Amino acid sequence: MKFDKITMDHGSGGKLTLELIENVFRATPGLDSAILGDIAFTTDSHSIKPLFFKGGDIGKLSVCGTINDLLCVGAKPMYLSSAFIMEEGFDLDELEKIAQSMRDEAKNANVKIVCGDTKVVEAGKGFYINTSGIGKIIRPIDGSNICENDQIIVTGNIGEHGFSILNERENLNLASNLQSDCAQLTSLILPIIESDLDVHWMRDPTRGGIAMCLNELCYKRDFGVEIFEELVPISEEVSSISELLGIEPYYSANEGKMVIVANPVDAPKILDILHSNPLGKNANIIGNITKDHPQKVLLNLNYGTKRLLSMPLVEKMPRIC
Amino acid sequence: MQLSKFKDKDLVLALAQSIKVKSKNFENLRIMHVCGTHENSIVRYALRDLLPDNIKLLAGPGCPVCVTSSKDIDAIINYGIKNNCTIATFGDMLRVKGSNYSLFSASKMGLSVKMVYGLDEAIDFAKKSRQDVIFFSVGFETTAAPIASIIKSISLPENLSFFSVHKYTPNGVLELLKAGKLNIDALILPGHASIVSGLVPYEKASSDFKLPCVAAGFEPADILSAILMIINQIENNTCKVENEYERLLSYEGNKLAQKALNDVFDIVPCIWRGLGTIENSGFEFKKTYDFLNAKVKFNIPFSEDYIEEQKGCRCAEVILGLIEPTQCPMFSKVCNPHNPVGPCMVSDEGTCRNWWEVKGEI
Repeated sequence: MKFDKITMDHGSGGKLTLELIENVFRATPGLDSAILGDIAFTTDSHSIKPLFFKGGDIGKLSVCGTINDLLCVGAKPMYLSSAFIMEEGFDLDELEKIAQSMRDEAKNANVKIVCGDTKVVEAGKGFYINTSGIGKIIRPIDGSNICENDQIIVTGNIGEHGFSILNERENLNLASNLQSDCAQLTSLILPIIESDLDVHWMRDPTRGGIAMCLNELCYKRDFGVEIFEELVPISEEVSSISELLGIEPYYSANEGKMVIVANPVDAPKILDILHSNPLGKNANIIGNITKDHPQKVLLNLNYGTKRLLSMPLVEKMPRIC
Repeated sequence: MQLSKFKDKDLVLALAQSIKVKSKNFENLRIMHVCGTHENSIVRYALRDLLPDNIKLLAGPGCPVCVTSSKDIDAIINYGIKNNCTIATFGDMLRVKGSNYSLFSASKMGLSVKMVYGLDEAIDFAKKSRQDVIFFSVGFETTAAPIASIIKSISLPENLSFFSVHKYTPNGVLELLKAGKLNIDALILPGHASIVSGLVPYEKASSDFKLPCVAAGFEPADILSAILMIINQIENNTCKVENEYERLLSYEGNKLAQKALNDVFDIVPCIWRGLGTIENSGFEFKKTYDFLNAKVKFNIPFSEDYIEEQKGCRCAEVILGLIEPTQCPMFSKVCNPHNPVGPCMVSDEGTCRNWWEVKGEI
């Protein structure tokens, strides 16, 4: 597709984001962190409305997001940087809260925030945090050895962050129990990285939800993905809000989940480890890698029918009736 | 309410099996629904794959955004830009292109646009705004009725007015049948919209055109039950209007909502995009509401020089169930949700958009 201007859809983490990376930055969309010998390195910028939400705030989000990106490639998260772009007039008490969340979350993950930067911009320009992270590679997990019949695991209920934020941002007043799943997954994922279990790929399914994550998994590869509707863990709250808004949970963002691709023999053992941690209590094997339909993600429905789970192109809008 | 019951695997598969058995000796049976949410469910659960080949499930004109005329979109964009007022409307409406621009693309040229989830949000916005705010009021009777109720019951900010492009489904369908534009054997009636109108307005469709009609809910079992009820009517050689969606829909409809509609709106001829002017199918404000009717209040000019279909776009044929979206040469290749050429690719209720979601790039 050809564009003259950046649109919001370029930032939605879908197909247009991938095209931007390939065509403008001349880079290959790939792993969530670069693997540089024994070091993993990554960066992520965070903007969210509202800045404080049920289940977290932009500070927590910025630390968790980068830690999870490091875990994806088989690294133990070690150090973070933090850079703030703040609008003039931003409330100092709020900034203090955000900074405290970052300290708390870094401490929980046994990660040090070692450098940072602040910039102030004109009022009305918003509030953003960039964090970069360095991790120590325990063993590189880079997706190069993904095989047919590898199992696909998701570590918990999907879609909670996206729906919770939409609910709060747009004052929809739906599903009061719903909150963002924002969490750093060190305690959940590090034991798996440190084990000898055969993991081939990991990704945190953030923007675009697991639909985007699974499409990225087989993007330009010689295999496809199939998942099974009845195996995907979805909470009652997410299920209800999804019905009301006409947006499927597969497309709703997560901020505290991991999709893991693993050898079929080891997948049940990985599941056991995940289930032993509260963060992974709803983990499940949801599907597998297949050579039948390269580059496509198929959803097997409960009725024996199947359909494509397409790569999101534009951000989903709640329907009008 | 326990919706999962209507998704139940055993129930759905049993219904599909009954349909298969009962329709074994039928020739092609063309069943049309007229609701975007029905199409969304059909596609999402791949229900067409559960049906035998001789039963064709067609998507009719059931997406309010898709049938909004370029004439109306052009008029609101031109007026808004020249007169510095804000156009408030639903997200789906923003991306639908008029002759040249959508509200969204016009916003890049200076048109002030506010996306809202409901009229209440437009009211709040108008209260805080110093500009005139025009609510581009789109939707079938489902949306028109609550808007009429709000208009009747509360005092609105003086700077808020309405540009109605509301349409009335039963008359739209009936007029299309009269004009011989629908090549169908039966109708699945829209569950949500009929909650307002009731099913009486569809009796003419059933009696005059010998069409079995069944109103249905939106879960897989609802839709398959409706198909089975249609097949039963055909087997018994009857033609009537039936209600599968009794848990929410009464045959008479919602009298209060109907009264609100009657109090606020007249039924007028109205342009449905790609289908031309359809008699008795639009909701326009009664004279007593001239003060709220942006078209009257601001004397908004309309140009007769407008383009409903971009070159090559076959949305009109899709809307009438004459072709499937994948038969349009532009589908997916040129026309996709990011760059919708025709209106049916915009909204989640649009047939092309629904198909794109499960067919992707071809």
